[in-house]
Amino acid sequence: MNHFNRLEHATQTLRETNQRGVAPYLTAGDGGLTTTLAVLHALEKAGATCVELGFPFSDPIADGPILQAAAQRSLEAGTTFADTLEMVATYRKEGGELPLAFMSYINPLLQHGGLSSTCQRIAYAGADALVVPDLPLEESEELEKVCWENRLAPILFAAPTSGDARIQKAGSRSHGFLYVVGRVGITGGSTAFDNTTQEFLQTARRLSNAPIAVGFGIRTADDIRSATKYADLAIVGTALVEKLHYSKDPAKTAFDFLKELQSGLNA
Amino acid sequence: MKGPYFGDFGGQFAPETLMPSLQELESAWQSIGQSPSFRKEFNDLLKNYAGRPTPLTPCRRLGEAWGLELWLKREDLLHTGAHKLNNALGQALLAKHMGKTRILAETGAGQHGVATATVCALLDLECVVYMGSVDAVRQKTNVLRMELLGARVEIVEHGQKTLKDAVNEALRAWTGDPDAHYLLGSALGPHPFPALVADFQQVIGKEAVQQIADQADASPDLVVACVGGGSNAIGIFRAFEEDASVRLVGVEAGGDGVETGRHAARFSGGTPGVLHGCRTWLLQNEDGQILPTHSVSAGLDYPAVGPEHAALHALGRAEYASATDEDALTALQALCKREGILPALESSHALGWVQQNQDDLRGKRVLVNLSGRGDKDLAIIFETLGLGT
Repeated sequence: MNHFNRLEHATQTLRETNQRGVAPYLTAGDGGLTTTLAVLHALEKAGATCVELGFPFSDPIADGPILQAAAQRSLEAGTTFADTLEMVATYRKEGGELPLAFMSYINPLLQHGGLSSTCQRIAYAGADALVVPDLPLEESEELEKVCWENRLAPILFAAPTSGDARIQKAGSRSHGFLYVVGRVGITGGSTAFDNTTQEFLQTARRLSNAPIAVGFGIRTADDIRSATKYADLAIVGTALVEKLHYSKDPAKTAFDFLKELQSGLNA
Repeated sequence: MKGPYFGDFGGQFAPETLMPSLQELESAWQSIGQSPSFRKEFNDLLKNYAGRPTPLTPCRRLGEAWGLELWLKREDLLHTGAHKLNNALGQALLAKHMGKTRILAETGAGQHGVATATVCALLDLECVVYMGSVDAVRQKTNVLRMELLGARVEIVEHGQKTLKDAVNEALRAWTGDPDAHYLLGSALGPHPFPALVADFQQVIGKEAVQQIADQADASPDLVVACVGGGSNAIGIFRAFEEDASVRLVGVEAGGDGVETGRHAARFSGGTPGVLHGCRTWLLQNEDGQILPTHSVSAGLDYPAVGPEHAALHALGRAEYASATDEDALTALQALCKREGILPALESSHALGWVQQNQDDLRGKRVLVNLSGRGDKDLAIIFETLGLGT
């Protein structure tokens, strides 16, 4: 198979073999970038399908209190765009093979000479995809173009409020996966995988060309089990970031938690 | 109607979850909002509830002291004490017609929060106002007013705990509650808000053009307004934009002085970027992280400026300057002592710029938008000036 890049290869393989996967989210630099690097290796060892790596932003309007605090800690520790990319490059140099979706709010991507230049650097460091939570379909054309030029997979969003036409559009313009927001709201909290949510996920799966990853409010192996009934991937952010913050050995915590979450995949 | 952009500025940088709500709002504004019956209802409320038209006051004593002809557009005399009510009435009325039952809002100085709580009481709408804890302390009476009017005030404890963080929290709340209407208080945020707010605020300029023609038998040489997000400024500027002989001056918060880094002067200390849904001028570092701001006035203490101002700045049609905390307080006292009018700290920045530039403005006819009254600021004025106990 000739896939667009590492991420698309991983998610298409899941789809073709009818398997499911877990995609952990990390805030880069929370606990220091050395910790983030160690956690990436641990997640790879534990068998994560891919990782969403969030560049911290001062004003994360789509995030709840836990991820807001993580971003703030990371920025207070001095995390910069350049250092984050250097950490990604180091991960690749050390043999890291996890598909990486780089997450950033739009404003940091517009600095340092603009989208074309920042996306080139993100791709060059070794990321495979770009997720921008405050960039809806209406504003994403330029970013998609720049992503294509740099072999970064553009990942767009679908939400329960979107409606079929928008889901279809986002699904056809996303590569690697379509990011499906599991419930109305911001990150954190919990999502009830009731009939309404499952119907929405089923619809998203049907309408999207790209595999679908569901995120927001997924915390436990049970959540994973429900979330991946129709979704190819389940994204776990807040629960992991919270555990890592309180851990004395984040790499081990990440490994153990991912194993625990994966137990929800096969049951 | 224009699209989402003013030149290179504006846009709709919002999470996907909110897009349908933004589109619903735009569509309601274009249909219901433009209908003669809606406009009649809105105009009736502006006249019989809010107290429009507001007067245009010639300031003879202060004008003489500063060597120029000074006119004030008296938005301070509007019900609730600031121009904010124009927009709150317009949006709440629109929300009511859209079948909304709950209103979310942010506030900095508290004037928008009070205006929103007021119209929600009038129109029987549930009201939740987000306010940074720093602002809630420095504008305590406005917190009490909002509660008295039946609103729930949610205090925001993160970030810098001022207007920026209140907007963050209101946007988050709306993302979790997209059936509510988010009543954004300034000419910023994702499309259609900047254009919608300007639409409801342009009554200020429409009246002022006519009033100065009637009372002075002339156009002003300058129109000056303070600019936080910039809704009072855009409200008065729009009516004068076509007349190239009128200088338009927006005055940002210079805080302790732009050179100190403790200010909110986006055009002199910032660069373009995206915050709160629109592309505009921001105070940010090289990585695009938003910087802390400082101003004695909570309403101007904000790191982004409305996108229509960014476009006017790019076109060179309006110029943007700043006045420091001290300039504002000096002008505030001058207006009190010479004219018997206590301006809001926000509006005092516009007056402060005029006072500081009086030598260059000698003999000019200067129209200042007095966007609000200063009763809410008494505690901070006393504290800053070392008066009372």
